[in-house]
Amino acid sequence: MSWPKVDRRKALLVASRDLRDAVSELRLVAALIALTVAIPLGAGSGVRALAYFGGGTAVVNRLSLVGAFFVVFIPASFSLVLALESFVGERERTTLEVLLSTPLREAEIYAGKVLAVLSVSLTLCYGGLIVYCLVTFPGLGYFPIDMLLALAVSTICQVAAMVAGAVIISLNARTMRAANVMASFIILPMSVVLQLEAALILVGRAELLWGFALLMILIAMVLLRMGFSGFSREALLARDVGLSNPVRRAAQAVRSSFGTRPGIVQLIWSRRAPMALAAAGFPAGALIGYIAASTGAVPSAVVQPVLSSLVAASRTPVSAGTGSPVDDAFSIFSHNLLAFLLVAALAIVTAGLSGFLLTFAPGFLLGFAAAVSSWGLALSGIVPNGLVEIPAAIVAGGLAIQIGAAAIHMDATGGWSSRVLAAMADYVRALRWLVPALAVAAVLEVWLG
Amino acid sequence: MLEVDGLAKRYGEVLALRDLTVRVDEGRCLVLLGRNGAGKTTALRCMAGVLLPSAGTVTVDGIDAADDPAAVRAKVGLMPEVPGLYERMSVWAYLDYFGAIYDLEPALRRKRIEHLLEIFELTDAGDRWLGTYSKGMRQKVALIRATLHRPRLVLADEPTSALDPDSARRAWVYLKDLQKEGCALVICTHSMEEAEHLAGDIGIMSAGRALAIGTMTELRRKSGLATRQEVREVPTLQDIYLAIVGERHELAESRSA
Repeated sequence: MSWPKVDRRKALLVASRDLRDAVSELRLVAALIALTVAIPLGAGSGVRALAYFGGGTAVVNRLSLVGAFFVVFIPASFSLVLALESFVGERERTTLEVLLSTPLREAEIYAGKVLAVLSVSLTLCYGGLIVYCLVTFPGLGYFPIDMLLALAVSTICQVAAMVAGAVIISLNARTMRAANVMASFIILPMSVVLQLEAALILVGRAELLWGFALLMILIAMVLLRMGFSGFSREALLARDVGLSNPVRRAAQAVRSSFGTRPGIVQLIWSRRAPMALAAAGFPAGALIGYIAASTGAVPSAVVQPVLSSLVAASRTPVSAGTGSPVDDAFSIFSHNLLAFLLVAALAIVTAGLSGFLLTFAPGFLLGFAAAVSSWGLALSGIVPNGLVEIPAAIVAGGLAIQIGAAAIHMDATGGWSSRVLAAMADYVRALRWLVPALAVAAVLEVWLG
Repeated sequence: MLEVDGLAKRYGEVLALRDLTVRVDEGRCLVLLGRNGAGKTTALRCMAGVLLPSAGTVTVDGIDAADDPAAVRAKVGLMPEVPGLYERMSVWAYLDYFGAIYDLEPALRRKRIEHLLEIFELTDAGDRWLGTYSKGMRQKVALIRATLHRPRLVLADEPTSALDPDSARRAWVYLKDLQKEGCALVICTHSMEEAEHLAGDIGIMSAGRALAIGTMTELRRKSGLATRQEVREVPTLQDIYLAIVGERHELAESRSA
């Protein structure tokens, strides 16, 4: 992964102008100060009041961490607005062409804009966190430095990921309104990420939070790289002309993406890298599941209910007592088909992770089951239907990974939609073989399983 | 200074510019005339290294715009039709920012900004935010910005459309002075007076192609107006323009019919 050259002085010039613009309005400055000072003051005072009026130590300690998460996240959300505005705002105010006509390179403009938004957001986040710590922790007898440091690092990465993603949206939107609508692509995944982070904070294990920070670094790097490669003067200035008859153009794009799709064997060969990744997901999942159960890293109580319901489902068909084996087979088939369709639908927003999970998750459950019982018993649960289901899942997972890879691959010459459409067309065409395979697997499970 | 050979630009399905070939030497000025949508702005953007040609070549001072667009942009000053100023900046801060982008030393920037603000009578408004400027003042600032770094080639899209006659004349004098210093100019305009005043060569464009390029005398000859009995005086550029574009328009209509 090569990064473009950036003249730091030029990038800083762009950043400092944007920064000056962001803080030039008094109302905005007042809002920034309120976010940095007032909210942490309120949150910190609340925790102290709880401690003073006899809240249990465990509750106060946990709450003090949740408060830190809260004061850090609220200003981070402000960065989304600034980042969304970065390019499309200039475009609407007609200042973009002037900026693009200068000798500044694409990477310098992009880096400058990201830097400006990041510096505002991180100043607010860390300013808020410092105020909160100063108000909350002195005299409390509890200062979880490891958790707070992990929170600080994961916040940088979280904000960087959010900003990088929002700048990509800003590059691709034609109006501020469109950018705001498209911001859902950031807000929805981020809300899941925040829930996960909140859960990790409540669990109270710093190493998990550090792992989370690492994951966020990876996501931020991918998004930043996408922004660098997707920045195009050409696209920014020429897009209006190219978008006449959007419905006809979309229909044409869909037609052409289906036009030259290969057969299943050729398809598997041409997508061998994502297929290999999906195939690796199953043994990797099994290994990690086995280790997780053996070491107690994931408590049995978490996975046991899932395993029990799966075992119960395999022994007692869903329609037991009410329907025929045909109904059972249809029920299994429709569940699996739904999972395959969901994986494809989620591939774009998860950057293909859903495809990997299609093989990793069953592998994990198998490994976990093997650890709590035996490999023989666990494997007997997936034979003979697994012999058909697993290869089908590998093909579907590989193609979903391909969709995700197409979605995060940006190119300055454009063509994002055609790449994603082509990857999705591959998936849809593969369903011609995957759907019968799932039907066969369902029949095997009901009559021979 | 500027050599354009067979330039074409396509936006998706739309061919905005086709087979444009022009040459502008140092100290010369080419004025592009044409209806709205004739491809003038696209031509300027390609010449400025902002858009890359779909076909053909653009060379500025020996540098191919497709090979090193950033180097071309450093030698060019582009003044778009819309001034595009940052509303919450003073003219000083704005010009200083762009001067720094073009690598001008701070002392030199200051000197040039002072000088240019004086020429365009903006010194007294130097501390006001650009958002408070009138349309004409904004256009002056845009012209200053485009020429602050003393580019080898100035590309201006309707540079005086919002200026009062007095300010427009002042701008023309300024552009003429740049020409004398060896700067090449390409100007798009709808003002025949401006074109006659500034042009060495005139290009008349329609539907993405150049219908005619040449000096006033050459265009007069091409239009055929000089030989017509009914024209008793020397035909103006307006007469020539209408004759050339009108003829082509009739042709296009007759083809479609």
